[in-house]
Amino acid sequence: MLRGRVLWVLASVALALGVWSPGARTAPVEPVVLGVPTALGSIEGADSLRAVQLAAEEINAKGGVRVGAVRRPLQVVSIDTREHEPGIPIHDALAALEKLLTERRPHAVVVGAFRSEVLLAAMDVVARYRVPYVVTIAMTPAFEARIASDPAKYRYLFRMGLQSEYFAGNLARVLGYVKSRHGVSRIQFVHQDVLWAKATVGFLETWARQAGWTVVSSDAYPTGATDFSASVLRARTGRTQILVPVFDMPQSGVLLKQVKGAQLPVAVVGFISPAVPATAWQAFEGAVDGMVQFVAEPGPLAVRALPKSVHFNRAYGQKYGEEMRMKLSGHGPGPSYDAVYVVAAAIERAGTLDPDRVADPVQRQAPGGVRRAAPGDRHQPGFPVARSWAAGGGVPGAGCGGRDPAARGVGPVSGG
Amino acid sequence: MRTAPAGYRRERLDRGIKVRSEDVFVLAGWGELLYRAGPRLAATVLLLVFPLLRPWTGEYWQTVFLVALAMMLAAVSWAFLENVGLVSLGHSLFFGAGGYLTALVALELRAPALVAVLVGSLAGSLTCALLLAPVLRLRGVYFSLVTFALPLLFSRIIEATKILGGTEGIVGVPGLGSLAARQYLLVAALLAAVFGLQRLLDSDYGLVLHAIRDNDVGVRASGIAVGRWKLAAIAVGSLPTSLAGGVLATHYHVVGMSAFALDYSVLPLTAAVLGGPGTMAGAAVGAALLVPVSELLRAFGTLRVVAYCALLVAALVAVPEGLFSLARRRYYQFERWVPV
Amino acid sequence: MSEVLSVLLYGLVQAAVLLLVALGFSVTFGLSGIPNFAHGGVYILSGFVCWYLLRKLGWPHLLAAAGGVAVAAVVGVLLYWLVIRPVRRLVLAEVIATFAAGVAMLELFRWMGLVTYEFNLPPVVAGSVTLGELAVDAHRLAVVAAAAGLGLLLWWFGRATRTGLALRAMAQEEYTALSLGIREDFMATVSVALGSALAAVAAVLVLPLGLISINLGYDAMLVALALTVVGGTERTAGLVLAALLLGVATVAASVVLGPHWSEVIYLAAIVAVLAVRPSGILGRLKELEERV
Repeated sequence: MLRGRVLWVLASVALALGVWSPGARTAPVEPVVLGVPTALGSIEGADSLRAVQLAAEEINAKGGVRVGAVRRPLQVVSIDTREHEPGIPIHDALAALEKLLTERRPHAVVVGAFRSEVLLAAMDVVARYRVPYVVTIAMTPAFEARIASDPAKYRYLFRMGLQSEYFAGNLARVLGYVKSRHGVSRIQFVHQDVLWAKATVGFLETWARQAGWTVVSSDAYPTGATDFSASVLRARTGRTQILVPVFDMPQSGVLLKQVKGAQLPVAVVGFISPAVPATAWQAFEGAVDGMVQFVAEPGPLAVRALPKSVHFNRAYGQKYGEEMRMKLSGHGPGPSYDAVYVVAAAIERAGTLDPDRVADPVQRQAPGGVRRAAPGDRHQPGFPVARSWAAGGGVPGAGCGGRDPAARGVGPVSGG
Repeated sequence: MRTAPAGYRRERLDRGIKVRSEDVFVLAGWGELLYRAGPRLAATVLLLVFPLLRPWTGEYWQTVFLVALAMMLAAVSWAFLENVGLVSLGHSLFFGAGGYLTALVALELRAPALVAVLVGSLAGSLTCALLLAPVLRLRGVYFSLVTFALPLLFSRIIEATKILGGTEGIVGVPGLGSLAARQYLLVAALLAAVFGLQRLLDSDYGLVLHAIRDNDVGVRASGIAVGRWKLAAIAVGSLPTSLAGGVLATHYHVVGMSAFALDYSVLPLTAAVLGGPGTMAGAAVGAALLVPVSELLRAFGTLRVVAYCALLVAALVAVPEGLFSLARRRYYQFERWVPV
Repeated sequence: MSEVLSVLLYGLVQAAVLLLVALGFSVTFGLSGIPNFAHGGVYILSGFVCWYLLRKLGWPHLLAAAGGVAVAAVVGVLLYWLVIRPVRRLVLAEVIATFAAGVAMLELFRWMGLVTYEFNLPPVVAGSVTLGELAVDAHRLAVVAAAAGLGLLLWWFGRATRTGLALRAMAQEEYTALSLGIREDFMATVSVALGSALAAVAAVLVLPLGLISINLGYDAMLVALALTVVGGTERTAGLVLAALLLGVATVAASVVLGPHWSEVIYLAAIVAVLAVRPSGILGRLKELEERV
């Protein structure tokens, strides 16, 4: 009896699934398809997707993208690669990417991979499918290294956003300021065991040693870890003065809680991605008290010197509501918004959707781009706006003296 | 499946056509031949023809077919090991070993992709057999617990020591020809595995293997070295999964810690239990059903895994003989009520 | 010297945590032979229930905790009747079915998005205590006390109460127990419900040390497995000894080598002990059951 019923249920479910497939196949008339395969479960990924949709809507409101003689609207399609989860299921993420590329056939991909590990793995898949691919979240420098190793094969891949080296450089300036102002010298790094964090901390460690710091230790935690007592113990025995967390997982808030619980005499200066939005104080229940939080890009901040960021901030708030605007994550939405405009401009310049023809103009966008120091590096396009975003342009923060523009204090004093 | 009406009982009899096509009489006519060979022939033809249907199915379903073949191989391998009494709760160990060794052979020894895949999978299954050798004398749950712990152990060791590429994995594994080439390689392997391993289990060797599952003390008392047989069984049984791991590594061009993920352990298990533990074909059918369903459910994200697990529990509790065995019984036999 | 002391202290706390987490699984497995691999799922489920009662409905802490324990017991009963009973005595099917049920629960929570920082439980006892040069949360000390208390309680339960003895009888000799009038289904239900309730108690005590993170469910399962394998299911003393060994070893390894190594230790311990002494370090060998 039970068996019969179970079989009927199984059969009906299978039938229903066969008939109804959530990846809808109805296609509007000839749009230009933009794909967003990223970790939609993460705040960076979700906010970046929204930023992309915002940009696409704005472009469509102005008539769409001119491809040759025809104006075509932009359509944004996305898929969740779940790569921010612990264990980094690379195969699964690549399968999702492939599904997007083969089923929806996007003409370009923006936002790209969330995790650097997946990005590196995805490079070959993208090269196989020949789709212009603009990364805005993942930060590993190994990306550039691989492109340099085979420029012809990887000519479709671009980055528009920060890279660990420059991210570390900016964070180093903040730390240097703290050192000169307060005379501390013992530093400890606690980071997530993922490529971008490892690279960032690697650069920081080298800089710290050269700048005269004593590095107590550099602790790596797997994604999803919730117990940081090992670092707390090391901080106590090593008499750490400055603790530098570098994380993108929400569990890192527990580190802050444990540091407080152990009454460690340290100042926390670092980057915890989920603690960037203005709502971080409530979200972390005050655990961020006293932390100096570095902001990667002024997406969530409207900077008057960068009018586009003001416009972005306002438009985002209008479309998605004030609460969503306050919760904008610190890494991803800004460059993703820009990336859509860059791709649209490239398509218009090329006059066609052929990937090889589109790839060239994407490359030749405004000179320098994010990497000011490397002229001739044509894989980092960006408006001059993007360049100065990475260089800072920020809000003077409470507790930081206001001299260093790239830092922002988090607490009940600072606002949105 | 219905309860008997009062005064009656259920009787199952072989169908006439089955009786008429038994043994040498199968040659008596086309009907008998088709009855016997039909299902196998149809399945084989479907496997061989699917890659050619690319213009109609689209690229995406062809990739799903490739992954389905890989999972079918893993499920068949799981079912084979289960027949020997070695229930592995960590089948991803074989999968990952095949993938990593293929990548290493391809990149370190600079072998052409096909050679890398074949050598890598062979090396993978032998390595796993050696790894499991010390614990082969464990039985039942205890063996399964070790198989559960091993892939997790390896992925943590890789994460902690950063060997084999660490969390990044080994990138840049060369591709193996075209998609169709990979598909046909796996189809050939699958047909060899299903028919070959089933033949093996039905033969005298299989008798010993089943005896090891049922009463290993008795087997040892008969003078057979149980340990060595189990070792051989693992080496042979893990080969299809290693091959699948190697081919998928060349498809995605990357092998990472995720090759040891729980997903690759749960799926062959669910497939084999759903399809019917005990038969190779059942496991393959189970995987052939599960993988497309899982792809269709991709939009639901993690709910997919919830669905697998719910399905697994339902299959274990309500349909323990598996769908394939159920279908086969219906194909060969019919039921009727007879008065008691 | 203070380094060694802090490692030992944190090791003791970790041992208490491990013991609490593993107790529920060990009770069900040792006392009635049911490997309840949904233990991790129930652990996190009760954490979320307690959180909901505490944060969303505003119940007082103790009441919310009791609510969590009650829900866990009910889930345990359901688990037995729907999942375990149909495949009872087929050990591997039990393992697979309960494991699948546990994974289903955990991944359901993940799909529901219960992964942000807001899902945390407050400590049972607030504040910190200074012992010499070390400052430790009062909560951690409470955990140690609770673990010791529960361990003793369960030891007494298994030796001196009728239900406890009945459960052990069933695990050792099913048919004899049946012939003595011990009702199998009822006893098994009690055992699974008890194990789940203990998982809930552990959740309420241990989860405040971090977040209610879904991965902790898998970790809990692993820890439970490690302790049960290393300590053996026969004696509570084995479990306690295993907890102490693994607790201090993992803390020492995290401090000296790095945080990654703690999980490696659990897994390596499982494999090593199963390979060498499957009954556990204090277990008497039951060779015929475990190996050829």
